[in-house]
Amino acid sequence: MAKRIAQSSINWAALAERVPAEQKAHLTAFKVKSDGYLRRVLANPPEPPKINWNLYKQSVPIPGMVDNFQKQYDALKIPYPVDNVSAQIDAQWAQVKKTIEVFIQESNKNIVSYEKQIAEIKALLPYDQMTMEDYRDAYPDEALDPINRPTFWPHDAEEQLDYVDPEKKAQAGH
Amino acid sequence: MLSRIALRSASARQTASTALVARGSATDAVGVRDEKNFPRPVRGEPGKVRLGFVPEEWFQFFHSKTGVTGPYAFGVGLTTYLCSKEIYVMEHEYYTGLSIFLMVYYATTRFGPKIAAWLDKEIDAVETNWNEGRVQSIKTLEESIEDEKTAQWRAEGQEILVQAKKENVLLQLEAAYRERLMTAYTEVKRRLDYQLEKSNVERRLAQRHMVDWIVTNVTKAITPDQEKQTLDRCIADLSALAAKQ
Repeated sequence: MAKRIAQSSINWAALAERVPAEQKAHLTAFKVKSDGYLRRVLANPPEPPKINWNLYKQSVPIPGMVDNFQKQYDALKIPYPVDNVSAQIDAQWAQVKKTIEVFIQESNKNIVSYEKQIAEIKALLPYDQMTMEDYRDAYPDEALDPINRPTFWPHDAEEQLDYVDPEKKAQAGH
Repeated sequence: MLSRIALRSASARQTASTALVARGSATDAVGVRDEKNFPRPVRGEPGKVRLGFVPEEWFQFFHSKTGVTGPYAFGVGLTTYLCSKEIYVMEHEYYTGLSIFLMVYYATTRFGPKIAAWLDKEIDAVETNWNEGRVQSIKTLEESIEDEKTAQWRAEGQEILVQAKKENVLLQLEAAYRERLMTAYTEVKRRLDYQLEKSNVERRLAQRHMVDWIVTNVTKAITPDQEKQTLDRCIADLSALAAKQ
């Protein structure tokens, strides 16, 4: 006889933890189905109750009927239903595992690239140890360049000759 | 004086290698600096002074010969000599300077720490502003790493799902098996119970019929003089009973 089962051995709490929020509805539907199966199983006892043959032997008048029934009932063997789906599930799991492997590879590659970027950022010269020349080396476009792009002190946008005040620009339309 | 700075910076370079190491630039583009032979200078601590302007090294220089009070005594003597010989003339500007010095001293001791703290806060704000971009990037990247790890963990949870599917299949098989057992049992029991009930009903009918038949036959068989005899006997019995009372 195949392996018999009487109750659920799945840790639903752990499974629920791992499910991302957008798939919780699927998990709920799945759990409902599983609970339905479990309820069907629990509706009947694992072994049927014993028939009291003696009582029937005394009261049933037809001779030999009870003995006949008893012989046939004891000889009756109910076959356990054939399981031809588990193989498909195993095949599906092999597929899924391959996909998971690929996903984890990709993910690890991403993690490596992120860590490389973090290391790059950490290796940059900190601002409190930069001189103005180091700043020019690091950001040549933003550094002060008196030869090519001279600016008036204090070198912000407001004091330059081509600055247009946004508020004055709004009033200029009359 | 400059030798002091040289001595201090030499010692700072040795300690700086363990603590605040000036980092090199990651971009070896323009202005590559030889970091090993010409490390970037790190700002050290200001030299220790006494009375605000006299270097500590002078006091150490005196210490072995004249002890702790030596430099002070030397200073007092020197000042007295300069003032008494009028080498240092105390004229009008001297008193102006003295008054200004006292006012500045009072101001720095009263307001100095507060103003220093406020200025430090402003500088820190500017520095934080500069570093904002880098710090944000690092934080975002670290969060991305965490998210990737979580996604991996979730993907592994699919194993539990597969187990649940297998279990569903087993549950269905078990349910079907149990239903078959119960069907067999109930059918057999039904037939046996039917036979039992049938025999009971037959017996009961036969019994009632027999009783009725016996009663009607007996009642028919009672002749009139038998009835009279029975009645007389009953009256005699009754009187005997009454007499006995």
